[in-house]
Amino acid sequence: MKIKMNDRKVLVVEKNGYQKQVMGIYQFISDRLYFNRPDIEIKGEAYNSAILLSLLTGLTKGKELIIGEPGLGKTTSAEFICSLVYQFPLGVIWGSEVSGHPEQTEEKIIGRPDLGKLNRGEEDVVWTNFSQVPVKIVDEINRLPETKQSMILDGVDRGNWEYLNEMIINDEYCLFATANYQDGGTNTIIAPLVDRFDVIVESRYPGANLSFLIGKSRGKDHILRHPKYEKDLYRILKSKIAYQKKIPKLEEICDAFGEHVQETLGVKPLRREDRDRIRTEMGSLDLDLDASAFARMLLAELSFCDRYGQKRIVENCEEGCHYTGYLCRQIKNCASNRLPTSIKLFSQGLAWLLGDSEIDIEHVKAVMPFALSHRVQWKDEILSQKEKAKRDDPFQIFLAKEAVKTVSQRYREQSDHLKDALALGSKIFQGESLEPLEGDHPIYTEIKKDIRHRRNH
Amino acid sequence: MKNGCSKKKAFLSPQQEVRAPLINPFEEFRAFQFKHTEIPLDQIVRSTEVIMDQIRLGYEKLLEEEAKELVWMVQYNTIIKAYEVAEKYVKEIDYSAEDIEDFCFALETPQKVPYLIPGPAGIYISALCNYAKEEEIVLKLSELKTEINLIGFRLPRGKRLMVEGDTGDFTGIGLEGGELLVEGNTKNWTGAGMRAGKILVKKNIGLHTGEWMMGGEIYVEGRVRGLGNIVEGKVYERDKLVYPGKARFPNQYY
Repeated sequence: MKIKMNDRKVLVVEKNGYQKQVMGIYQFISDRLYFNRPDIEIKGEAYNSAILLSLLTGLTKGKELIIGEPGLGKTTSAEFICSLVYQFPLGVIWGSEVSGHPEQTEEKIIGRPDLGKLNRGEEDVVWTNFSQVPVKIVDEINRLPETKQSMILDGVDRGNWEYLNEMIINDEYCLFATANYQDGGTNTIIAPLVDRFDVIVESRYPGANLSFLIGKSRGKDHILRHPKYEKDLYRILKSKIAYQKKIPKLEEICDAFGEHVQETLGVKPLRREDRDRIRTEMGSLDLDLDASAFARMLLAELSFCDRYGQKRIVENCEEGCHYTGYLCRQIKNCASNRLPTSIKLFSQGLAWLLGDSEIDIEHVKAVMPFALSHRVQWKDEILSQKEKAKRDDPFQIFLAKEAVKTVSQRYREQSDHLKDALALGSKIFQGESLEPLEGDHPIYTEIKKDIRHRRNH
Repeated sequence: MKNGCSKKKAFLSPQQEVRAPLINPFEEFRAFQFKHTEIPLDQIVRSTEVIMDQIRLGYEKLLEEEAKELVWMVQYNTIIKAYEVAEKYVKEIDYSAEDIEDFCFALETPQKVPYLIPGPAGIYISALCNYAKEEEIVLKLSELKTEINLIGFRLPRGKRLMVEGDTGDFTGIGLEGGELLVEGNTKNWTGAGMRAGKILVKKNIGLHTGEWMMGGEIYVEGRVRGLGNIVEGKVYERDKLVYPGKARFPNQYY
């Protein structure tokens, strides 16, 4: 796969080199560890969505759900990314993974009582590797029964892991969960857990020829292993020192492993300070006006209901509504507040990676389908209408891509008018006596509602 | 001196006192300046609006002069007088056939035309048709809720007016050699006093058809509810000549 750098990107790369370092990791995984075909195009460049979004997940402290057929590299892709972004040898990552199965318990996921101390009448918690390391992989999450999925909700959301009366908080963590398509042993992932994933991506079949090569090239799992460092890391993780004191010790060994990887493989993993610096740079990127207006337009369509005030899963809108042509008519549920957060987080990551100084509409459009598809519940008639459509993506991602395309078309038609309406809204908020602009889209009604609220204040 | 206002301020509720300013959700668009780039369509829309304003103004003046108290009686002399007034204003406007159609729909929108008085409105539309540049005019009025009366009044020779939809009373009266085609139904007094020309009605026609007509032809593809006192001319119902024909009384169904 070719990665070209345009002039603007080179400028940023020269400034600190982090983009080049991260693209080096992308290239290394793509060429040597995870054989794939590019499946998305952003600003004229082709990428593999599974590697790109996993990389962004690791960089942005995000949460990603990887779906796909068994044996197509869902877990291994996440492991490679985690190893190179967080400098953990694969052996430690394997030892900290949680596998989803019906008999899974809180003690295996989060922590257990220290039995030695318990015998002495003292209460203490032995935290699992999963709860301690910053890279968290839950394998086959949809094999966890629905009741047990609730156990990891808080940890997944905030990085807070609680057992008995003790708690550890992960300052830095990212989460990857894999899920097979529905079969006899799978359960539905509960809506609150699904909503907590920033993005969903499919780990796809690379094609017969590349698949054949995978069969021939063995031992790629071993290139990111280092038994000595693994042993050292395990020793620290098992030690009885306070969690906050373990972190610098872990990072010391991780740095040593990172140097080893750079020397032996020629790819430079990211150290903690690199990741922090990258996040600061990402955080400074803001959405430009088009990206902002477009995101608002999409959110309006995913949450608006003219009759009932907002979308609610328990209410079905009726025939004959003026807004029949918009997404609100096609979906059952309301967009959650986590959706814009995920869109912004990953758009920031993508804009940073491409070396752009602002988040523009192209970044947002590239990220949206992956942030949207697992959160939207489509009405049955829409599912049956589009089920048989020719497509390359899994059905949910296909529907989300189509939805983003439709809204993007609507935005092209009225972008100036919408930006005008939003600018006018700002003026009214500053106290000017003006009337909001009219327009045929739910967003204009939303603007009027905000203005009415301002006037009543 | 005690000031009432300051006293009131002292009794502000704690909630009011601590109320924080609202977050402006549109803050990032504060400095946005909309740069309007004009496309040819903008110019077309603007010129259409100017023409429509002129047409509306002419109609309002006609009402001011001829229907002062918003009452208008259909009499021979009132029709003639109203038409003369309408002619005066219409002659000064540079419009097209599409503008006439737009005006017909504007009549049903109170924000655009406050009063729809069917008589003067029909006379005014007829004047617009008679003075239009185009020889053939098509008015797509099938979506119109009101049936317009007096349409086709004095339609001159060489003009062809096609109406998609139904029309009201006095359709094609005083026709002066033009051709009037109505794709729907017409009501009573169709073709009354027409001198020459042709009226073709695709569906049905009402009572007093051709009353005092002096010439020309009326073709009806549906049914004729009743004929008027016809002086001269021909009336056909489904290709069958019904006037002149067997003697019969006016409006008696045959």
